[in-house]
Amino acid sequence: MMSSVEKTHVSESLDHLFRHQAGQMVSVLSRIFGVEKIDMIEDAVQDALVTALQKWPYGEPPDNPRAWLTQVAKNRVLDRLRRDKKSDSIDEESVEVPDLSDQMLDIHFSSELSEDQLKMIFASCHPAIASDSQVALTLKTVGGFSVPEIAAAYLASEDAVTKMLSRAKAKLRSGGIRLEIPAGDVLKPRLEAAMRVLYLMFNEGYSASAGEALVRRDLCFEAIRLARIIADHPVTTAPKVNALIALFCFQAARLAARSDDRGDLVLLSEQDRSLWDKRLIAEGLEHFQRSAAGDELSDYHLEAEIASCYALADGFETINWRRILNCYDTLQSGKFSPVVELNRIIAVGKVNGPERALEELSQLGENYLMTSFNFFHLTRAYFFAELGQNSQATDAYQKAADLTRNDAVGRFIQKKVAALT
Amino acid sequence: MPNFLLLLHATPNKNDLTHMSPEQIQAVIGDYMAWRKKIQDDGIYVASNKLRDEGGKFLTGANGDFRVTDGPFTESKEVVGGFFIISAANYDEAAKVSQGCPHLKYGGRIELREIEPTP
Repeated sequence: MMSSVEKTHVSESLDHLFRHQAGQMVSVLSRIFGVEKIDMIEDAVQDALVTALQKWPYGEPPDNPRAWLTQVAKNRVLDRLRRDKKSDSIDEESVEVPDLSDQMLDIHFSSELSEDQLKMIFASCHPAIASDSQVALTLKTVGGFSVPEIAAAYLASEDAVTKMLSRAKAKLRSGGIRLEIPAGDVLKPRLEAAMRVLYLMFNEGYSASAGEALVRRDLCFEAIRLARIIADHPVTTAPKVNALIALFCFQAARLAARSDDRGDLVLLSEQDRSLWDKRLIAEGLEHFQRSAAGDELSDYHLEAEIASCYALADGFETINWRRILNCYDTLQSGKFSPVVELNRIIAVGKVNGPERALEELSQLGENYLMTSFNFFHLTRAYFFAELGQNSQATDAYQKAADLTRNDAVGRFIQKKVAALT
Repeated sequence: MPNFLLLLHATPNKNDLTHMSPEQIQAVIGDYMAWRKKIQDDGIYVASNKLRDEGGKFLTGANGDFRVTDGPFTESKEVVGGFFIISAANYDEAAKVSQGCPHLKYGGRIELREIEPTP
């Protein structure tokens, strides 16, 4: 519908202001009016943004756009509540119109604002909500992402996303989920769940398997933003949260270098390191150092360490593959994952040579899920090519191509095959 | 230089607006703001205002029969969202400036009128 919208004029400082603001307003209003009114709140927030759209073109925007938008949205909810109260004479008592003084909405207190968002993160990642909906719900409520944006990121239909969100929001509407920062015994599992959701959100953005590049990039930075909120709060901060942010930062630092001008995939070995985001690497390092506090070694620690090996090496040749392999070995000694195993085998190939890697790959190939995974075949093709076994490499690339639905990866494979023949 | 009035007509399309994402809304506002800043920088901006959506009235008073009727948009599906006043040498110039207004890109219509200078 609005695909023609150009982004060129929006100044840097306003980047994603409305999206972030929408998420913040949903969080603040949910605290004030109750998260079970989520539908009414989302409508009110949309109304406020549309009101801005109709007014701001004709004059200077308000001095404090955030406060203005929040005030408009708050008034919309109040109007709705008053109207509902009037029209529903039977159930008058059940609709309470809160008398709101303005200090309740003092959004200058950014710590309170973060706290509202933190509560909304935990509500959206609540175990009562189906795990496959948690990421989408978090993006919608706290992130301010629209249904088409979520659909674009997941290569899903808008209908499917709408249905998924509607089921998830039914849990919020039912009143069974409270807006709170979990404490005591429940904190640990709830924190794990929230971190898991952010990890999935980031990976959805980072993985080159599907979706629109621009939205996927936004997903990565949203995961970082929300993880920072968790890390900044005294109750929820933990070394492993810092490990998670370090992992995100190290990975996100390479985003711009991972595809060329045409959007085609560029391998780590061929990436232009001058495109890596030094600021993100520095931030990653800072969080990585903070993650060393305490004695817990989480999977996020190990993954952050692996990512640090890539991000901090001077060049592809100086990557410390042995250290990477050690991390993967430790990861796999916990809970075995075939996808992690694939990455481990790449390190095996770098440390022990391509033959050994191919041996382990053929073992991994006995897992039927693996043979339908394009990166499995890409990895085989890579090591066959290293050994100069070009026909086998071509076959493997072909298999990978058949399993690929992302154009950029498809073109990458074509280029590789062309180079072999 | 004469002044010109740009009346920004919009077909109310609530459905479209409720489905725009915050990102899109911000981008559209950004477009309008950039255009307004441009005509300000060019020194041709005179004034602009948003008109209220609701509450327009039609007044008649022929033969002493003063009447107020609700309007003015009961007969038309279009609403004048607001107006700009710019200065330009002639209609051609004014039209050229108006052409840059994002309102057209987003499906709106602009009515351009030259303001008669008071003698």
